[in-house]
Amino acid sequence: MKPLPLTLAGTLTRIFLRDRQAIFFSLFFPIIFMVVFGFVGSQEQEPIALGIVNHAPGGVSDDLIDLLDANPLFQVTVGEEPALRESLISGDTTLVLIVPAEFQETDRGVEMQLLVDAAQVQELNLIMPVLEQSLLSVERQLRNSEPLFRLNVEDVRARSQRYLDFLIPGLLAFTLMQVSIAGSGFNIVEYRRKGILKRLFVTPLQPRDFITAIVMSRITLCILQIAVLLGIAVLFLDVRILGSYLALFTVIFCGAIIFLCIGFLLGSLAKTQQSIQAIGNLVIFPQIFLSGIFYPIDSLPGFLQPVASLLPLSFVANALREIANNGASLLDIPLNFLGIAVWMIISFVAATRYFVWKEVAA
Amino acid sequence: MAIIEVRNLVKRYPRPDRKSEFFNAVDDISLEIQAGEIYGILGPNGAGKTTTLEMLEGLTDIDGGEAFIDDICVNTRPFEVKKIIGVQLQANEYFDNQSLRELITLFGALYRRQIDPLELLGRVHLTEKADARPANLSGGQKQRFSIACALVNDPKVLFLDEPTTGLDPQAKRNLWNLVQELNQTGMTIVLTTHNMEEAESLCQRIAIMDHGKKIAEDTPRKLILKHAPEPPEAPLHGSLEDVFLALTGHGLRD
Repeated sequence: MKPLPLTLAGTLTRIFLRDRQAIFFSLFFPIIFMVVFGFVGSQEQEPIALGIVNHAPGGVSDDLIDLLDANPLFQVTVGEEPALRESLISGDTTLVLIVPAEFQETDRGVEMQLLVDAAQVQELNLIMPVLEQSLLSVERQLRNSEPLFRLNVEDVRARSQRYLDFLIPGLLAFTLMQVSIAGSGFNIVEYRRKGILKRLFVTPLQPRDFITAIVMSRITLCILQIAVLLGIAVLFLDVRILGSYLALFTVIFCGAIIFLCIGFLLGSLAKTQQSIQAIGNLVIFPQIFLSGIFYPIDSLPGFLQPVASLLPLSFVANALREIANNGASLLDIPLNFLGIAVWMIISFVAATRYFVWKEVAA
Repeated sequence: MAIIEVRNLVKRYPRPDRKSEFFNAVDDISLEIQAGEIYGILGPNGAGKTTTLEMLEGLTDIDGGEAFIDDICVNTRPFEVKKIIGVQLQANEYFDNQSLRELITLFGALYRRQIDPLELLGRVHLTEKADARPANLSGGQKQRFSIACALVNDPKVLFLDEPTTGLDPQAKRNLWNLVQELNQTGMTIVLTTHNMEEAESLCQRIAIMDHGKKIAEDTPRKLILKHAPEPPEAPLHGSLEDVFLALTGHGLRD
């Protein structure tokens, strides 16, 4: 006969898989997140509305306007100064370039005026070089000179840079935490409410066999759930995983153990379904905001960063991100891995210490 | 031969009103239950019936005294005891989305036994419900199913905690027949009940408990002879309910 934990794990896995509603909701929100951010990320940047007042129509100034118009970064409107100034103030136009009448006189330097609303233009530092570049091109054209240097840009797409690529590993870690804590903690409380724990406890079932069985079946389920999310990200949202899937799933496996144990601990401490919700949120919410799921930990206030980076979800999310975005192997992230190992020990000890059959079942 | 021996059993709980003080929910109970008998424990709510059973089943720590089932000490070897007893609890919900057949197989696995679910369901007359879910059973069927779960390990002693509470008269009688059938195979059965008719017709011996103490113990007939108040010349015209009320008083319990 198969070892008991294995038999029990099989049954539990079957029970969990038959709970379609729970599976649907565990995947629903992460998928919505991914798809929404997938579309946001893939959208072209809005062109910058550039108004041009041309006091020297005809000739080179038209070339300049054509050049700027051809650049997808700008959406060019040619008009009169008062109208454009007004439109700048109302926010419909971001920049107004005034081409002076002496623009044609190419024998001396011409000063051009650029009107901006600095409060609106955070990207001014990005826009200026493009404008200057366009002017330089016109200048070269006028002087009939060839540029000395040419940049040949080749996109090898070696590392992903979209927000979605940053988000996906964090989202996987977050989902892992959610389904694991719910899977062990919420389940324990539910089994207690129904008297199932008590019924199991009058059989010779040993607590460690029961915990082992739940952990085994939940890990199986977690890995399936994460694999589905990852599959959607890779197949439909063009997310690239640079590191190995083996490394990725090793971290997911360890993360599942951490959060399942935390779930057991919460389930042992909370006596009712309401209190597990409350205690669960106390553990889950700070980690969502502090663990670099939606934005990097670096962007948190300085005093929060050291604390934030020690949270279990931070270690798991960072490890996944290093592997997925930077192609790290497990050997490249020893500190993350140390953090994960330490949390595995802490959570396991705490879970087994507080999961006392008699008290939890009663 | 006594299969269950209980000596001076005590369970202490904090008082519900003053947490720092304790009271004895089970107060110095001694029992001797013979192999093959149906033994009933009666008592008002809060008398300590369920707590006594839970201590014998290894669910609750024993705070004082000792208990043996088939010569195995419950205090020191609870997991050995669990292997030879079958237990039906008051709450009988099970894992969701599992058929009776699957649940029976699972319970068998907990005792490391491979069993034939259909044969066992046949013994409690639920063969045709093998693929149903417990949630879809009637009250009487649920009780019969939870007895089936308690039988997976061929127990020497079967504990039933208020098995007929909430059942209609037909289901109740049906369950009594089942208990008698099981008893005829030599199984010792210990049950708690509020139902005097049940105690009278089913149990060979009865203990009446109140405030954690055993206040009477005998066969139903002798208890009636001894305690039923009237008419004293024709004692058997009184009922066990009269005995119960005479011993525990008429005050309402919660």
